[in-house]
Amino acid sequence: MSLVELIEGPLWWLALTVLLLGVGWRIVALLMVGKPKDLSVARRSGIAGALEALLLHSVPHGGNLGRTLYHFMTGYLFHIGLFVLVLFAAPHVAFIEKRLIGVEMPWWPELPRWGFIIAAEAAFAGLILLYIHRMTDPVKRALSDIDDHIGVWLTFIAMLTGCLALQEAHAGLRALHMLSVEALLIYFPFSRLMHAFTFAISRSYTGATYGRRGFTP
Amino acid sequence: MTVSPMEASRVRSPRMKERLLGIVLGGLALAVASLSGAWTAVAQTQAPPPGASAPPPVISQPGGSVRPPAGAVNLPDQTTAGGSVRPPGMSVEGPVGFAPAAKKLGHDSTTDLWRGVREGQGGNVVFPSREAGILIQSEGEDWRVRRNEIVARYGGQILLGILGLLAVYFLVRGRIRISGGRSGRVIPRFTLGQRIAHWMVAALFVLLGVSGLILLFGKSVLMPVIGKEAFALVASASLQGHNLFGPIFIPAILALFVLFLRGNGYGLVDLKWLVKGGGLFGGHASSHKYNFGEKTWFWLSVALGIVLSASGVVLLFPDALADRALAQLANLAHAISAVLFIGVGLGHAYLGTIGMEGALEGMARGTVDENWAKDHHDLWYEEHKRQATTDARMAEVRAAAVGDAALRGAGS
Amino acid sequence: MTDMPGSIAPDNRPVDVAAAVAKMEALIGSHLGSYLDACVHCGQCAQACHFHEATQDPRHTPALKLQPMTRVWRRTKAPFAGLRKALGLAPELTEQDLRDFEPLIFDTCTMCARCTVVCPMAIDVASVVAATRQAFVAAGLGPPDLLQAADNARDKGSPLGVTAQVLEDRCEWLADEHETEIPLDKPKAEVLLTISSIELMKYPDSVVAMAKLLNYAGVDWTLSSKGYESTNFGVLSGKGDVAKIAVNRIVEAAESIGVRTVVIPECGHAYGVMRWSGANILGRPLPFEVVHITEYLAALKRQGRLAFAPYAKSAVTYHDPCQISRRGGATADARYLLDGFATDFREMTPTGNYNWCCGGGGGVQAMARAADVRHEVFRIKMAQVEATGAPALVSACANCRLTMDESKAALGWDKELLSIVEILADNLVPKRAA
Repeated sequence: MSLVELIEGPLWWLALTVLLLGVGWRIVALLMVGKPKDLSVARRSGIAGALEALLLHSVPHGGNLGRTLYHFMTGYLFHIGLFVLVLFAAPHVAFIEKRLIGVEMPWWPELPRWGFIIAAEAAFAGLILLYIHRMTDPVKRALSDIDDHIGVWLTFIAMLTGCLALQEAHAGLRALHMLSVEALLIYFPFSRLMHAFTFAISRSYTGATYGRRGFTP
Repeated sequence: MTVSPMEASRVRSPRMKERLLGIVLGGLALAVASLSGAWTAVAQTQAPPPGASAPPPVISQPGGSVRPPAGAVNLPDQTTAGGSVRPPGMSVEGPVGFAPAAKKLGHDSTTDLWRGVREGQGGNVVFPSREAGILIQSEGEDWRVRRNEIVARYGGQILLGILGLLAVYFLVRGRIRISGGRSGRVIPRFTLGQRIAHWMVAALFVLLGVSGLILLFGKSVLMPVIGKEAFALVASASLQGHNLFGPIFIPAILALFVLFLRGNGYGLVDLKWLVKGGGLFGGHASSHKYNFGEKTWFWLSVALGIVLSASGVVLLFPDALADRALAQLANLAHAISAVLFIGVGLGHAYLGTIGMEGALEGMARGTVDENWAKDHHDLWYEEHKRQATTDARMAEVRAAAVGDAALRGAGS
Repeated sequence: MTDMPGSIAPDNRPVDVAAAVAKMEALIGSHLGSYLDACVHCGQCAQACHFHEATQDPRHTPALKLQPMTRVWRRTKAPFAGLRKALGLAPELTEQDLRDFEPLIFDTCTMCARCTVVCPMAIDVASVVAATRQAFVAAGLGPPDLLQAADNARDKGSPLGVTAQVLEDRCEWLADEHETEIPLDKPKAEVLLTISSIELMKYPDSVVAMAKLLNYAGVDWTLSSKGYESTNFGVLSGKGDVAKIAVNRIVEAAESIGVRTVVIPECGHAYGVMRWSGANILGRPLPFEVVHITEYLAALKRQGRLAFAPYAKSAVTYHDPCQISRRGGATADARYLLDGFATDFREMTPTGNYNWCCGGGGGVQAMARAADVRHEVFRIKMAQVEATGAPALVSACANCRLTMDESKAALGWDKELLSIVEILADNLVPKRAA
């Protein structure tokens, strides 16, 4: 088995397994810790509050736009760019169809080349701007730990290798991209990258707690 | 499409030195002058196609890219010229059927036909493209020689020379220390916005610089070391990466220009600074917020940024152009200004990091030590002390608090 | 320049790290765990925190205050905690950590929850800080004056040493002085009024005002010498046992009198604790409803049982106590009371649920060493009030009022600070005319 075959075969499935089991366990184990029942008399429904918080905290609200605007713009730039790339880049669609589910999905939209370029530039610009902010802003410098840096760099490298392989002419470049993505997937469940899932749990708890009180912050 | 050294030396004519000078001057003019003027400046260095010493006809590919060949070219012959293979509306402009005498292509080709090909006359093609009918664009050979033999060769020497100079300077002068050591008090130097714009440009500088250098020098430097297959991979990756990151550079350098414009106008004090050699060789040279060197670096970056951006856009969409000439010109302008940008950028990076104590933190944390400010920007320091505002006080507090010692324990 | 908190003189208090870890482990549930897991270190919360904004010191970033508990969470209850521990990737919480974080957990957090609004993950830093305080106290740390206040509450019935006897004496005196009835220990009543000892000792007029308003509306109410203190310094200081004692006293008094309603006076955290945490501290649902005085007066006003002459003395603005508005959900009632009463009412920016804290919530008022930073914080409030142009600031929390009065004096500010119950009581339309 060549290195390329190893990366695109067993390693890929290993990474995917670690990701799925890891993420699943992180969520299940977190919820299993449990939480004492709130015995206070609710002013209104906690579920409504949770749903409200889930949506509300996706956008700036309640003033304090200073720091938020930068994160709002660069954050959305990066995340939207990344999701579009992951889900709709033509090679990814082909990969999903052939390797992951084995079914053709003619209805699944595929990015044209110019769309790929725009999404990739948005994702890179957003990620780099966010990372520069992390390195220069005193508040973020005080907060950051090694996990923040590893997460950013693994993401960056995965994106970069993906774009370097854009010509789709070299198996080596494709394998390099796969390898960096595998590293990212394996690292994911053990890191702050888990915010992709924990955000919903955190927002829901706060939304429910405060929603019962009558105001969802 | 490579030229062996032997061939290259044959290509060189006695007029070569003049042309070289013209190209270098043209490149410099490009960097400083506005874009439209610059085009003309370099265009004047265009020489007529080389004569008898030209290599055998090849299909020249623009930009040294690994783009697939331009496509099938159908030279007119009797079997297709009169037929209806070509749908209406797809004929190419320009002289059609330039070789009426040609009966059987490849066997009966005449001198006239090949002269026509050699001079860039167009033929008919079966898909819509203004240029695909051109079998040989002879100016491409000019461009290739200039790129490989002049820009790459002397550009490489310039870059190596600058690295050498910096190394020698470091060995002789050592790290420029803060005279009297650190005061422990800091003053704000760069806003967060300025720092973000700077590091964005710096990040792209590295990404584009590395991939660009591979594209320019890779074939002569890298390929002999890592082999053709590996280089094909690296080149493909570099090209894709370079094309991808390029467009982000434009808004980034624009933001840099807007955020750093203030304080970068020249004044009399800059002349005095220049006379004293900027204190780089000992002594003290007064300066406001930015000294002569920094101001020149700023304006050079802006000028080179404009040339790099404009020529870069041209190179991203070569097929949208009327012909190859502009793309070839853009490629040379891009390479020349990139070499200059990287060369001076090396000096900038040297002074900003290992070359000078206390400089990097200005761009990292936004604040500098007071003694550093007195050393290098005394006039700015005094001005700051005169009009220390509430905001400045806050920034100082923040800066002092973020000092590593203060954060130990409270940080992660 | 004010002294930054964090410069607590080295001391030789023994620190029981294991007790802190055990306490945290016991307190972390799924909700706190999800907060600790979700923080992405974006730092947006810094701008929402008055301590950060006043000092620009990055250590006052709310997210930083999650760290002690995060450390314990990752070693003990978090998913993969064992793996992390085995690989040496989960550093222990150390004595130095606890000492370093003490000022951040106590002195510079009022648990106002402004940071929760701005947090993209909606992390409730306030609840993490509240739990962390319990762990710090278990370890033997915490500001001595705050802890003393909690011990006073346990031993004397009130943080300011208002014993049942003092209560009786002062109420008698106030009733005489102001010619109103202040019923104490009625055997049966509909409503149990509680008081904050800050009011009784420093703003007694506000106790009188509540009495007048309730009497005017004909409410069947009483004070109880068994449970009168509404403040809960057990919660503020992180002393869980004291918190429970304080809640128990009111619950027992209310049950013995058979009230349907317990009214919390002008005190923010007292409302938050009793209304939203009381049942949880007690371990069973409360057998009565808990309302803030503004809520109760608003209900009386809706029923037409209160009539006020318009307050036209000056323009006024309203300071929302965090625990009543943002964290309490009773934002609208104070405005309902002021509506049609204050003829020139001006909202601050921001206001309501997004209002800035006074700087003294969460027990910070009671910490002498936090006084300087508190005054710096108050400048935010000053600027807010000055922007409205109103010369008077009304509030519904005696703790906010005391904080602001102290800062006002320290900074030489000239605006007037008012209590909502006092200006309402002062402007009741006389009964005969009504």
